[in-house]
Amino acid sequence: MTISINLSDEQRDALLDLTTISMGEAGDRLGKLLDTFVDLSTPHVEIMGPSDIAMALHSLDCSDTISGVCQGFIGGGIAGEAMIFFNDTSFIDLAHLMNYDDELDEQAERELLMDTSNVLIGACIKGLAEHIDLIFSFGSPLILGQHLRLDEFFKPEKALWSQALVTEINYRLEGYNVNCDLLMIMTESSIDRLLRRLDILLN
Amino acid sequence: MDVLQNIDIGLLVLDEDFNIQLWNRFMQNHSALSPTDVLGKQLFDLFPELPEAWFRRKVQSVMVLRNTAFTTWEQRPYLFPFHNYRPVSGVTEYMYQNSTIMPLTDTTGNIKNICVMIYDVTEVVANRLQLQQANQELYVISRTDGLTGLFNRKHWEEALNSEFRRFVRYNHPCTLLMFDIDHFKRVNDTYGHPAGDEVIRQTASVLKQSIREIDIAGRYGGEEFGVILIDTDAEGAFVVAERIRAAMEKNTIYHESHVINYTISIGIAELDAAMTEPTMWVDSADRGLYRAKRAGRNRSVVFSSGERD
Repeated sequence: MTISINLSDEQRDALLDLTTISMGEAGDRLGKLLDTFVDLSTPHVEIMGPSDIAMALHSLDCSDTISGVCQGFIGGGIAGEAMIFFNDTSFIDLAHLMNYDDELDEQAERELLMDTSNVLIGACIKGLAEHIDLIFSFGSPLILGQHLRLDEFFKPEKALWSQALVTEINYRLEGYNVNCDLLMIMTESSIDRLLRRLDILLN
Repeated sequence: MDVLQNIDIGLLVLDEDFNIQLWNRFMQNHSALSPTDVLGKQLFDLFPELPEAWFRRKVQSVMVLRNTAFTTWEQRPYLFPFHNYRPVSGVTEYMYQNSTIMPLTDTTGNIKNICVMIYDVTEVVANRLQLQQANQELYVISRTDGLTGLFNRKHWEEALNSEFRRFVRYNHPCTLLMFDIDHFKRVNDTYGHPAGDEVIRQTASVLKQSIREIDIAGRYGGEEFGVILIDTDAEGAFVVAERIRAAMEKNTIYHESHVINYTISIGIAELDAAMTEPTMWVDSADRGLYRAKRAGRNRSVVFSSGERD
């Protein structure tokens, strides 16, 4: 019963360009806030099923445990979720970066995780929204898990969706041992509307 | 404006210097501070318990990124120290809060003010905390034998299997004791089932006092018990078994008007490479137990893999 969505090359390129531009701007603002150079990978854009999500995180070193946060957004008929994953080795440098002077206990780590995710997700989604002329509403961010293995985050058999548009962006921060991956996942029903907005943008 | 005043969400607007510009009724009522008390005053002066450095960082990210920021109760239980909405039937002392910090753009496109929204999420948190506690209790109940407080058979067997796997990997000695109460049926028949239950309960309690914290004791069946002795060979296990056996023999139970003495028989099997399945380990200990019974009960017998046919 699954209807597969096909992205034309043109649409994929448009999406890539849009994401790259939005990311570039987000990176600039982030750089200003964090006072460091933010290096963003070229985004990957793919239509995926629930079981492919873990594979999308290919820029992350998954021999280690990771921590993740997710946040939902919706607006103009486009809905999705941003998920961000950090290598657990990133925390010490992350604390320096975000000017955390307190000792890093579990509570402080949770706060750092939430605050950093907030900044990264916000910058990314806002950039995209501006380009397609929308203002999204955001749900409260939620910690998906701390110090887990990658396969513990995703239970494909429990997913309520069959296909989604997944954009992956890898962040590195110059001079810091911080490695994180951001996934922007748009639901099946959003893809159509997003593509229509892209078409308007292209013409 | 009435809507902002009456909505059951806390709303406050701050200028760049963190002076309060708007303070809606939710904030007034929960803080007991009226607008005349707070307007134009600095937030940190009014609420010294607010984590100032953290809050300033948060607001700075809102200003620079021109983007909404969030905090949740998981991160910080609350921003403002308000009481639970239900002072009588509530189960938490404080109001748990999620909050949103939003930039407000003026007509020239600059951000001079920020808006903070406070959501009361106490009920959600209370449910979550109660669920966690219930799960924790269920976890304990699901692995405990009701009568004795020892591990039940299911959990004990899982522990046995995992010790078996550990042995395959690391080869540390590990020995199993299986024992049962001699002539237990006679206890039940003579003194009644409540007396029998008391014997089983006291057997478990004497057992717990005779073994180490790391050893794994479970109730295997009616009057049968299993003990996994970690890092112990058959010789060491025999000493432990004899200590347990002697303690049971000395234990006198006074139940209603009855004075009950009882003994146990113990089978001992050290895990070895010839055992390819956990069940073979249990079987060896069972054979030791059978021999102990045959030899007249109230004794401990070691059975080794070499004695198998």
